[in-house]
Amino acid sequence: MRISYNWLKQYIDINLNSKELEEKLTFSGIEVESIEKIGEELKHIIIGKIVEKTSHPQADKLSICRVDDGTDIKQVICGAPNCAKNQKIAFAPVGSKLGEFKIKKVKLRGEESYGMICSEQELGISDNHDGIMILPDDAPLGKGLASYLNLEDTSFELEITPNRPDLLGIIGVARDLSALLKLPLNLPKISLKSGKKKIEEALALENEASELCSRYVARMIEGVTICESPAWLKKRLLAVGLRPINNVVDITNFVMMEYGHPLHAFDYQNLDGKKIIVRRAKNEEKIPALDEETYTLEQPDLIIADASKPIAIAGIIGGVNSHITSQTTDIVLEAANFNYANIRRISRKLKISTDSSYRFERNLSDETAEIISKRAAQLILEIAGGTLLQGTLDSFPNPQKTNIVTLRPSRVEKLLTIKEDDKTLISYLEGLELRLQKQEKDKLYFEIPFFRKDLTREIDLIEEIIRLHGYNNVETFHKSQNIMNKRSFYARRKLQDILVSSGFSEVINWSFADPKDLDSLNIPESDERRNVAKIKNPLGNDFAIMRSTLLPGIFKNTILNIYHGQKELKLFELNKVFFRKDEKLATEKYNLTGLLTGNLNPIFWKEKPKEIDFYDVKGIVEELLTSLDLVDVDYVTSKENYFQPGSGANIIFRKNCIGNFGKLDPKIAQTYSLEQTIFIFELSIDDIFSLQEKRYPTYKSIAKFPPVLRDLSFVISKEFMLKDIKNIIFKTNPKIIKNVVLFDEFISNKIKEGYRSLTFSLVFSSETKTLTDEFINNLLKTIIANLEKSCNIEMR
Amino acid sequence: MKEELNKILESAKSEINKTGSIHELQQLKSRFIGKKSGLMSFMKQISSLPKEERPAFGQLVNETKQKITNIILNCEAEIKESDYKKTLKSEFIDLTMPGRKHEKGSLHPITLVWREIEDIFLSMGFDVAEGPDVEDEFHNFDALNTPPDHPARNLSDTFYIENDVLLRAQTSTVQVRVMEKHKPPIKIISPGRCYRNENDASHSPAFHQVEALVVDEGVTFADLRDILNIFLKKMFSENISSRFRPHFFPFTEPSAEIDIICVNCLGKGCNICKGSGWLEMGGAGMVDPNVFDMLEIDSEKYTGYAFGLGIDRIAMLKFKIPDMRMLFANDVRFLKQF
Ligand SMILES: [Zn+2]
Repeated sequence: MRISYNWLKQYIDINLNSKELEEKLTFSGIEVESIEKIGEELKHIIIGKIVEKTSHPQADKLSICRVDDGTDIKQVICGAPNCAKNQKIAFAPVGSKLGEFKIKKVKLRGEESYGMICSEQELGISDNHDGIMILPDDAPLGKGLASYLNLEDTSFELEITPNRPDLLGIIGVARDLSALLKLPLNLPKISLKSGKKKIEEALALENEASELCSRYVARMIEGVTICESPAWLKKRLLAVGLRPINNVVDITNFVMMEYGHPLHAFDYQNLDGKKIIVRRAKNEEKIPALDEETYTLEQPDLIIADASKPIAIAGIIGGVNSHITSQTTDIVLEAANFNYANIRRISRKLKISTDSSYRFERNLSDETAEIISKRAAQLILEIAGGTLLQGTLDSFPNPQKTNIVTLRPSRVEKLLTIKEDDKTLISYLEGLELRLQKQEKDKLYFEIPFFRKDLTREIDLIEEIIRLHGYNNVETFHKSQNIMNKRSFYARRKLQDILVSSGFSEVINWSFADPKDLDSLNIPESDERRNVAKIKNPLGNDFAIMRSTLLPGIFKNTILNIYHGQKELKLFELNKVFFRKDEKLATEKYNLTGLLTGNLNPIFWKEKPKEIDFYDVKGIVEELLTSLDLVDVDYVTSKENYFQPGSGANIIFRKNCIGNFGKLDPKIAQTYSLEQTIFIFELSIDDIFSLQEKRYPTYKSIAKFPPVLRDLSFVISKEFMLKDIKNIIFKTNPKIIKNVVLFDEFISNKIKEGYRSLTFSLVFSSETKTLTDEFINNLLKTIIANLEKSCNIEMR
Repeated sequence: MKEELNKILESAKSEINKTGSIHELQQLKSRFIGKKSGLMSFMKQISSLPKEERPAFGQLVNETKQKITNIILNCEAEIKESDYKKTLKSEFIDLTMPGRKHEKGSLHPITLVWREIEDIFLSMGFDVAEGPDVEDEFHNFDALNTPPDHPARNLSDTFYIENDVLLRAQTSTVQVRVMEKHKPPIKIISPGRCYRNENDASHSPAFHQVEALVVDEGVTFADLRDILNIFLKKMFSENISSRFRPHFFPFTEPSAEIDIICVNCLGKGCNICKGSGWLEMGGAGMVDPNVFDMLEIDSEKYTGYAFGLGIDRIAMLKFKIPDMRMLFANDVRFLKQF
């Protein structure tokens, strides 16, 4: 539904800008879908004066006007019959716009025209296209038309929820705002004077379908003058998107927009039998409607009829056979209420949706009919003249009792935690025109106004209270704790899960260790792991210290399992290690240690068993590190004395060693009586967490052009490490070379001593183009040249 | 001319029908109807013909091309069909031979139960808190309302690193650490490793416990019983509930020991519950006001409860593990069962 700011201000003295009003409406539960500045489209239309008029030499119907726009005199060709010298007119200069139509300099039958003199229809002010719009003589020359006509306003398109039919009129919105802003609501003052003639003398009303028409109020006015509405009325309607038609129809629309309840006016002279009958249609009964369509009705449809014909589809659309025309003098004013479900059904079936059906579909109140009937009669008498007949014809078979709802303030507090005294609660609800009937201890009895059928239970009143109190003004209690280290918690689980899915079994060992374990591992005296927490009263010497590495425990598990005949082992432990030097307590860190020995996979009849090697342990370490978002990791030869020389690696991340892995020195393995080849890894998880924040991936666009793959094979000295070789390749063209994958390493006596043959698969792609063969070949040549220069490679 | 076309058609027919491979067929296709084929060079002669003969000539060549195409398509279908039949014969499958396996790893049964406990409490809005294993006397005893002369402080029960430094005997130490740092409301569990100076069939010098602590306004004994029962039902089964026996812990008042209906016999009596139908599960109680006072929490405004359960014991009950020592032997024949 569309409302306008100026119209709203008629009922409530708000002083908010449109942004503030939008916010107030939104947080009281009325969603603002859009805001539109009215008058904006007439921004460039100015008030001009015709200073000279001559006839066009080539065309009878055209005249050449010279228009003063306040700064200049312009020649304008005009076709309107009513244009004359010295008139003040609405002038659209070259460059201005009328709707989508842009005014340009044109030649009409050989005469140039610099602009346009506008009609009311062209300006969107009314349907009048009989001639140009003529302004009063005192209209200020050169001034903007919109501001002169007071057309500037702001309209708000509102989304009204189906439970609130009372908000389908501007007064309803004003009422909610008045409760919210604690400002008085100024309802229209209605008083009626009628003539001597009684309505019964002129008209009869028969309601034959009271189950579908719960109320019908008819009033009559004789001797009205149908003409254009006054400017203020047209302006109001235009602001909410309704087109002015004539004064009586405009008044019915105006009152509908005020109260949210539609009305209809009939031309009395066209009513056969001087009767209004509310009845169900006969099958195949036809009605020519105001939208220029003829609708065929059937039995359950509800119509308004006179003695011989349907004159309206009840609550949806009027008939063209009884509508108000310029000849109308006597009118019957209908204010009624219809069964909403029936209205919805008929409107769907006939595919007619009008401002009227939109409202009746939402279950309006019977009582409003009486009020709007009076209000419309009052305005018609004021604007269109005439004499009101005495009394009304009113069919209201089942008036409903007013509803009383009880509110317990204690319940409000229980549900909302709002601690407000009774007085405040009462003032909230009285703002919405609920009337306090009776007050007992923790019980407030409220009479519900007829226009709020949606309020039937205590909880409905509580909802109104919080709406007015403000949802976001309810105090919240800070319950979140943030005690947990979620990153470490979930990362540890993830590491465990990766290892389990890679075939590792988790072991859990006590935290005690034997000091001799550190000697067996050849850990130097100066090493951090020698700073151990010693237990004063241990269970025995072999439990005398808190462990600073998880390796001894996992070795003992391995020995035991091999002893039991389990030779293929993948074990890990994720647990705390302890260091103590100067600290009062101890430094405790989570370590992740793994051990692999035997064959890589369970026996499979189709393949030969493969013994675990260095690259298997490296593979699992890489997978673990990747899962912790570590990518830029370096591997350097480890100085740990328990690795076979040359077969152990330290993992370096941001210059810190965060762990190591490799092949256990067979000499050390023997001291543990381990005959099998053992591979181990140990990571300090807490060190990793302290070096890197949790990272979340951000989307990168996916390549549009297909990648090109090429293989590259060469012999190279073993002194060059893979990392350096890859770097040289990448550097050749980092934008195009997307990946360098080692494909094969080949060492044999056919290749000279100290050399190896490497094969790479290179992936090229570009974000901007498809790569040509020629381009790739040239790039490959450059890569080879660079490798030859830096590493002295030989192509194979 | 017609004859020449017929010749091409005939030779194509015989050669194509001789071939048995898709690859050869592709070569024949380009030889007979490709851009450089005899047929196509024949087509080029069209320009030398008088205008009126051209359409008939063109049609004739196209017809021939179409015929050869059809022969090729038929041949291709035949070859594919026969290849497919060969595949069916050669790909013999013994459905009973084992598939390629990835080795099955396993989480330790303690970890499995540990995680389940964490997940149940996380779902009820608890946070998981951690604290150090190496503790001082304040957090392990003083703050938990254990007087200096309390027998628990005895060397024979607790491992000491130094006079004032020890290995925590219960994860209640984490409660103290959390209450030092955070104001109520507090709702945590703290699973972790504890140490006691004993080692026999039913006692391990290192073991695992989970403690729960809830502190807020209006926390009651009923909440304690409620949360504990919800936990037990989620952990074991709907049939399991608890009973409290009055007991003494220095840091709770009232204090209770928790018994649960025997998960093995559901209360009928068996060798696990020694015929009683009940199992001892841990301790519980309302946080002693002295503990709050020591940590400067308003003991009038706030109330709280705490309880502690043995993780290892839950794992043993859940997986029917008969001997505690198996948990720490790390025999893969044991580990891989879980
Ligand atoms: Zn039992």
